[in-house]
Amino acid sequence: MGTLTDIATIARWEVKKSFSMLGRDVLPFAIILFVLLVLVTGFAAQTGMHLQDGMYNVGVDDPQIAELLASDARFSVYAMDSSVLLKNRNAFDLIVVQGIVYGSETEKANAAQKTLERDYSKYVNSIYNTENDLFAAYPLWIDTESVKSELNFLATQSGQYVSVTPRRIAPVPEGEVKTVPTPSPTLAISQDELREGLVQSNAKNTQFSRYTETLSTSSSSMGNFKTPSQLSPPLPFDSIILIFVFIFPLYFTSQFFMMSIMNERIERKGEILLSTPLRTSSIIIGKALPYFIGMVAICTGLAVYIKASPVIILPLIPVIFFFLANALFIGMVSRSFKELSFISIFFSTVATSYLFFPSIFANVHVISLISPLTLIVLTIQGSAWTVTDYLYSTSLFWLTGAVLFYIAARNFKEERLFSEKKLVSRVREFLSEILSQKHPFISLFLLSGFSIPFIFMVQMMCLVLFFNIPMPYSLVFLLLFAALIEEIAKGIGIYTIYARDPAFLTWKNLILACAATAIGFLAGEKLLLFVTLAQISDSVFGSILFLSLGSLWLPFLLHFACVIIVACCLKIWGKKGFVPGLVIAMLVHCLYNLYFILGWLG
Amino acid sequence: MKIKRLSIIAKKEFKGLYNEKTILLAILLQLFIALFSSFLMVGLTSMYDPSSLSKYSHSRYSIAYAGNESQILTYLQTSPDFRVYQMDLSTAVAALGQRKLAAVIYVPDTRPDAPDPVKITLYTLQNDLQTAIVDVKLKDIFLKYEQDLRDIRADRLKEELVHLQIQKTSRGGDFYEFVYGLLIPLLVFMPAIIASALVIDLITEEYQHETLETLMSTPITFAEMVWGKVLACELLVPIQAGAWLLLLMLNGIAIENAGLILLQVVVTSLILILLGTLTALHYRERTAAQFIFSTALVVVILFSLALPANPLNLITRIAVGTAGMEQWLLLGGTIVVIFALGYLTQGYAEKIAKTHKTR
Repeated sequence: MGTLTDIATIARWEVKKSFSMLGRDVLPFAIILFVLLVLVTGFAAQTGMHLQDGMYNVGVDDPQIAELLASDARFSVYAMDSSVLLKNRNAFDLIVVQGIVYGSETEKANAAQKTLERDYSKYVNSIYNTENDLFAAYPLWIDTESVKSELNFLATQSGQYVSVTPRRIAPVPEGEVKTVPTPSPTLAISQDELREGLVQSNAKNTQFSRYTETLSTSSSSMGNFKTPSQLSPPLPFDSIILIFVFIFPLYFTSQFFMMSIMNERIERKGEILLSTPLRTSSIIIGKALPYFIGMVAICTGLAVYIKASPVIILPLIPVIFFFLANALFIGMVSRSFKELSFISIFFSTVATSYLFFPSIFANVHVISLISPLTLIVLTIQGSAWTVTDYLYSTSLFWLTGAVLFYIAARNFKEERLFSEKKLVSRVREFLSEILSQKHPFISLFLLSGFSIPFIFMVQMMCLVLFFNIPMPYSLVFLLLFAALIEEIAKGIGIYTIYARDPAFLTWKNLILACAATAIGFLAGEKLLLFVTLAQISDSVFGSILFLSLGSLWLPFLLHFACVIIVACCLKIWGKKGFVPGLVIAMLVHCLYNLYFILGWLG
Repeated sequence: MKIKRLSIIAKKEFKGLYNEKTILLAILLQLFIALFSSFLMVGLTSMYDPSSLSKYSHSRYSIAYAGNESQILTYLQTSPDFRVYQMDLSTAVAALGQRKLAAVIYVPDTRPDAPDPVKITLYTLQNDLQTAIVDVKLKDIFLKYEQDLRDIRADRLKEELVHLQIQKTSRGGDFYEFVYGLLIPLLVFMPAIIASALVIDLITEEYQHETLETLMSTPITFAEMVWGKVLACELLVPIQAGAWLLLLMLNGIAIENAGLILLQVVVTSLILILLGTLTALHYRERTAAQFIFSTALVVVILFSLALPANPLNLITRIAVGTAGMEQWLLLGGTIVVIFALGYLTQGYAEKIAKTHKTR
């Protein structure tokens, strides 16, 4: 009971404090700005974004075509006589003479021509939509049926690559063949409904779709039926925009929490709080509670506003928890406002992209479920998801959030809060606090085990980063970085212990510490893989990240060998040996991975 | 106001930034945004339009064809992307479920000139990346067949089209609009936004860490201190933006008039920095100042994007070489705004300094 009252008291203080600060003259300004924001958004939606206006110069000899082109602001259209146009060809990216488009062979001209092509097909569709005989304008319709793959992911994990290499004779399915009913030759939807759907999808020319015009969107009123030009997987763009509506308020609110923590540290204001008999966990929970409630309230409000099902709050809660944990940690480690800004902007961008990126594939691939936001997209689309999906996509957030909260809570005391050391050594101190003096090996085991979710997040980001480097290099980089990240995570615990007390690292203790770390790492890896990430393993990229799936002793030996390399370097050369040790361990790790991938692919 | 004193303050701030090294995070962040956005664009377009990445389009996909024969079968058989098997529908769908095929097509018995449309049923695997690629490749064949059918039914169409003959382009140009129309303006203005957030931190820090009194006891005036910080942040802009342009050019992206782009960015960023300074001077507390400023920033950026010929658009135009005289008009306008804001800042700083002295 006492703890609860404590938490409630702290939460009340926190609310009072932030309101007294906001009350003065922030609130009126904020309201004005908010009104302005709404107005400007409306204005921008009406006029459109003018980012790419006048990129291309086009010369046209036909006023009708000129009018058609001028509707796209990207073109600066010059109507001239055809002889003049031909003479000054080089002044334009494209010229249209007697209905034929000529472009020079530059990249810009190609881009202009592609834009023109899309504009023209849009125009043609807008004419065809009005045809009385719709089936003369759109004579071909495609009904898409999806078939569930019967192969499970375990098949790909054990190294068997599912191939569709063509053979001479037709493939024969194994086992019983279920009869598939012959599809009816007629469309189940009336002509008017189809027309409505066509008009709707043609009108979807928002500023955002400009970047994604190659990816046409499906329209709802036509059901499964599509014209050939609509045959591409739909990009849930509207839902993705909505995601930003949800994430931005969360980001702002967590900023307030971060500042509140930082303010406690400035001029040692928080000392009074620490001198009270309150438990640190009560203080932290009490301080975080108002923000948590506020965030949930904002999300609920938004959900009600967009008339979405309240279920979408569920996947947001772990995200809120994760944001708060990060805000607490960042507020505790940064030394100055500059640092706070840099770290928090960096963190929020990385986190947002981690959340955002997979949800793009919401309709394409199971990988999308790794982000809780995919669940929101699905909810908004009206698709159902299961409890397993929920666990799968949110477990990483729960885990990392909890670990960060624990680290912060253990360090929430005077000597940590008010010291002014460098970022790296501060982080080391934070870790040192959670590594117990009495049971160092168990602590190492737990530390390396709990580092796994962070490793996965970072490796995920590497996947995104290296994806757009040309193919062989992206694999090489991914290989190196995946190994390096794992080695850093494994080495950091031993490094911390060594930095705290170099004498501790006798040869016997060194081997024990390495074994504890390796076992912890292995256990964490296997557990998390088992629970969540198994499904990603069916791509070449996945196979590098999660390679060590096979037997248990081989990966254990690898982890052990790599840690021991780092530890020995530390022991022999002192702190200087850490980085070279990491490099050697990374190389060993890579060779191991390479051997397996080469063996695998070859 | 002495230039020397300004540079002392600016140097002090640079030293602080250098010591903390966290500005590296800000730079890393920009790199991340660049890579991430190009990942999104390049990755997505190549996924949805595999022909843009020719090296991935070599593999052939097995496809089953069921139902009545049509022109589509011929198209599929002559396509280098597919190998077609004529199969019974049920067997084919079962084989698809076992991933022995990439797709199954069923074509009904509808005459090409029938009043009704031809309805093809396409079976593909659920939630599969390969499906996306096969879809795109099939799309070309369907489009060809659609045109055939349209030609057959042409006499039933009433409206007259404006005819435009577009030749097939050679490869390239896919990412042109993205690079020049989004990436370059974004990257070049990113340092300006970071600098304006930084100036708020620098100013509020003096207040909240109570280091202001010490600073005021030196011969440096309050206004000079403010302008020194503005100078430090402003100097960061061309360094970062220039590095970006250089990096892009090293990547083979031709940028015309890089100097003009830098000029525009440096001048425009001063508006943002001065706005940040005014907010910081008003609130003297980081949470409030950053909150108000970032909200205001969103409003300002959104508003200017909604206007034609905004600074971001101008960067695009300069980069592709289509900007004319209007860039100098805009530059002039920006400078006028800067002078107004600078005047305000100076006045405000002097007013604050006076209240300090009387206290």
